[in-house]
Amino acid sequence: MSDDDRRRLSPEGASRRKFLRTVVAGAAGAAGVGAAVSGEGVDWEALLQKNFREMSREELDAVLRRLEKKYSKRYGKDVKVSATGPLEGVVYGYGLDVSRCIGCRKCVYACVDENNQSRDPQIQWIRVLEFERERVERGFVMEDGNPYYDHEQVPAPGKVYLPVSCQHCEDSPCTAVCPTGATWTEPDGIVVIDYDWCIGCRYCMAACPYGARKFNWGDPSVPDADINPNMHLLGNRPRSRGVVEKCSFCIQRVRDGQYPACLEACPVGARKFGNLLDPNSEIRYLLENKRTFVLRAELDTRPKFFYFWGTA
Amino acid sequence: MTPNDEGISGRVQALTYTVIAAAFALVLVLFSVECPHSRRESRSDYARRTLPPEPAPVLRPSPPLSDTVFPCIDCHDVSEAVDQTRRVLTDDHETLTLAHGDLWCLSCHSPAHRDQLQLADGTLVEMTESWKLCTQCHGKKLADWRAGVHGKRTGFWWGPKEYRACVECHNPHAPPFKPLKPLPPPMRPGRIGAPMSAQAATTSGTLEGAESE
Amino acid sequence: MNGLIQFVRFAQGSAAIVLRGSRQYWTWVGLLLLVIATGVAAYTNQLTHGLIVSNMRDPMSWGFYIGNFAFFVGVAAAAVILVVPAYVYQWGPIREVVLLGEIMAISAIIMCMLFVAVDVGRPDRLWHLFPGVGLPNFPSSILVWDILVLNAYFAVNFFVVTYIVFKSYMGQPYKPEFVYPIVFLSIPLAIGIHTVTAFLFMGLKSRPFWNTAILAPRFISSAFCSGPALMIIIFRVLRAVSPIPISNAALRKIGELLGYAMAANLFFLGCEVFEQFYAPTRHTIHAEFQWFGLQEHGIAVYTWFALVCNSAAFLIFGISRLRDRINVLTVGCVLAVAGVFIEKGLGLLLPGLTPDMLGEVYRYAPSLNEVLVAAGVWSIGALFFTLMARVAMAITLGEFRYQQK
Repeated sequence: MSDDDRRRLSPEGASRRKFLRTVVAGAAGAAGVGAAVSGEGVDWEALLQKNFREMSREELDAVLRRLEKKYSKRYGKDVKVSATGPLEGVVYGYGLDVSRCIGCRKCVYACVDENNQSRDPQIQWIRVLEFERERVERGFVMEDGNPYYDHEQVPAPGKVYLPVSCQHCEDSPCTAVCPTGATWTEPDGIVVIDYDWCIGCRYCMAACPYGARKFNWGDPSVPDADINPNMHLLGNRPRSRGVVEKCSFCIQRVRDGQYPACLEACPVGARKFGNLLDPNSEIRYLLENKRTFVLRAELDTRPKFFYFWGTA
Repeated sequence: MTPNDEGISGRVQALTYTVIAAAFALVLVLFSVECPHSRRESRSDYARRTLPPEPAPVLRPSPPLSDTVFPCIDCHDVSEAVDQTRRVLTDDHETLTLAHGDLWCLSCHSPAHRDQLQLADGTLVEMTESWKLCTQCHGKKLADWRAGVHGKRTGFWWGPKEYRACVECHNPHAPPFKPLKPLPPPMRPGRIGAPMSAQAATTSGTLEGAESE
Repeated sequence: MNGLIQFVRFAQGSAAIVLRGSRQYWTWVGLLLLVIATGVAAYTNQLTHGLIVSNMRDPMSWGFYIGNFAFFVGVAAAAVILVVPAYVYQWGPIREVVLLGEIMAISAIIMCMLFVAVDVGRPDRLWHLFPGVGLPNFPSSILVWDILVLNAYFAVNFFVVTYIVFKSYMGQPYKPEFVYPIVFLSIPLAIGIHTVTAFLFMGLKSRPFWNTAILAPRFISSAFCSGPALMIIIFRVLRAVSPIPISNAALRKIGELLGYAMAANLFFLGCEVFEQFYAPTRHTIHAEFQWFGLQEHGIAVYTWFALVCNSAAFLIFGISRLRDRINVLTVGCVLAVAGVFIEKGLGLLLPGLTPDMLGEVYRYAPSLNEVLVAAGVWSIGALFFTLMARVAMAITLGEFRYQQK
């Protein structure tokens, strides 16, 4: 190698250059990527925000205030974002009366409105499956359900309807596989997601046996006028692109004692909700007096969503 | 660049086993270290919250009957004798569908007190308490309805809540729920697209039936 | 201080080598850079609009990227097929080429990590995975285990290669005490990376197609088919473009080992097919989808094609008369790589997730954007291999030595 050649060389070697390139790109990328990916411009506080479980009270309050300001400005409404904690002595359970559900999908759209789900790309946390009646009564698998029914009137003759959403399993496979600890089970039994911590790897979606989790493939959009300004950080606050979301049992409502939105929307009263630890609750009554079943019982996920036959 | 031709010396062997054992030990140590939070653990600083004792559920007052049908005495003259034979009405109320098991009008409507209903034994019941009639036959439903498992409730699962009288959902003359038009089905995943991507046409169906495009 | 100067000279010299080459070389590097550029452009599009530019949707939440990840973890693990004969059995012909195998492993691991990085929805949050700054869900999440072992395997191979190459550059023999323990560690690590990657899929009780014990052995056997086959193809290219001595004996021995690997691979496939179809359950729908398709989803043709490729490759590897003819062996290797790529890339992901948990049959094929990003990642791996191999080969051929001034 001549001296000339040596003088023309760059000081880094091939492998070292490659390595450095990656590092520099990575560092410079973080800010740019954060800006590009979230579609929101570089928000350093958001970029460096801690996991919900690790933030101090002050940090958490700062996050809530920042989000309130941001969303109020963005949607032109007086937005409140809370991080209300669980109630003591409460574990939530949900009941669904299969003999009553008529498949009208009012719950689906009430949920969409209450929880600020994206209209385009469309996200719906609840999916109503239509089955042949005999199938359900003699043993069925979820894969037999059809969510795309579109009749003039429901219930269609000979059909049975099963709405499916997050089952808030006691032994949830999703919380076990999340690599960053972005999803966990709260003391009151709600399986929650920290939307500011999720990296969007979608391992939880592969793990969920109920197809309950939905991904923000694109930028979610909700018309400003339709935004529900009463938000919970782990519930219905607007999500960003690239994170997983799902039913949160209307955490922003139930932790203040309210019924979930889907329950109130149901015209036939097929949905039941309450505290599994309270022996006088509606949910306990139906568990003790009705024939109940859970989906995919053989997987031993122990869902807290109980389907039952209201007719004696 | 070929390895040392003298073979693997005893020293190297010892070192090798040490390194592999160390790696193994490291894995064991890592395995026994819990992540700072297990998947069933949340914040440690949640305040202990309870809600105040809840009031009893309230039976929501039924919407008033329209003045075209109530009060009944506007048309029915109680001074006249009432024909109590079971029949299909032809002069008035003929548009009313009556399909409630074996019942006919005077099973529930009191012939002598037209603005009131009657139980099977003749006891009079106000229109606002019509649910008392239903529970004569639908006893199990009464228990479920009181417990909140039958029928719609709104409000608070722990707090003020309202339940509804039977007639709010069930027309007593033809009780089965009328079918409704369902809200739209979800979009097929293949239709959810981005404006600028080169999307291949993807269709999807379910096991029960392929999509018809 | 002395060591630092030596290393800087080494780095400078390496740069000189890779910036100098024949027309062939520059055409290849130019092509790689071009594909990397389109990959970067496609990834930028993905960053701008989100993963919606892919064809992945809720029913098919993992697709081409993760399929490639699984395939290249196998390729990386298969370096062990060279390491064992070279270091444990000290077999001459393979000792000459083991370094190139380790360089291929490093390139493959880089591709794996890139495939995961381009697949996540929020790459700006990848730091959440690291202990100290993030909150890795260890030991519960197998993904965290996978990151651990992949990085360990990368570190081990990178250390060994850099150390040996640098020592050779210096004209000194390397110290066995440094190399052998680490190399021997790479053997269980190689099995480890691919087993943990298999566990990633196996541990999901919601996906009956994946939730089977035989998935890990299938991963290992298919890895040992695809990795060495790719190595043979690369060695033939290297032999054609440089005077590097790679003996036919080495290639034939690798071919022989490929025979055993493919035998195991086909046996496990047979076991899988028996289990699925002899006593079908509702879960068999996934295998049915894979072999016969569902609702005009045409994956079946690929599955059968992969079977034909793998069977033909097996015959070539197994029959010594065919295997000993290097050109035929190379064809067999191409068939094996194609067969395993389809089997592990498409044939693992698509039937595993189709139909989905709610019975949805979503017809997935990677979008152009996904393919361009993936091609960019392949090219980055290939470029990395090219650059490192050039330096390593120059040292082997004695063209690149440290000279004291």
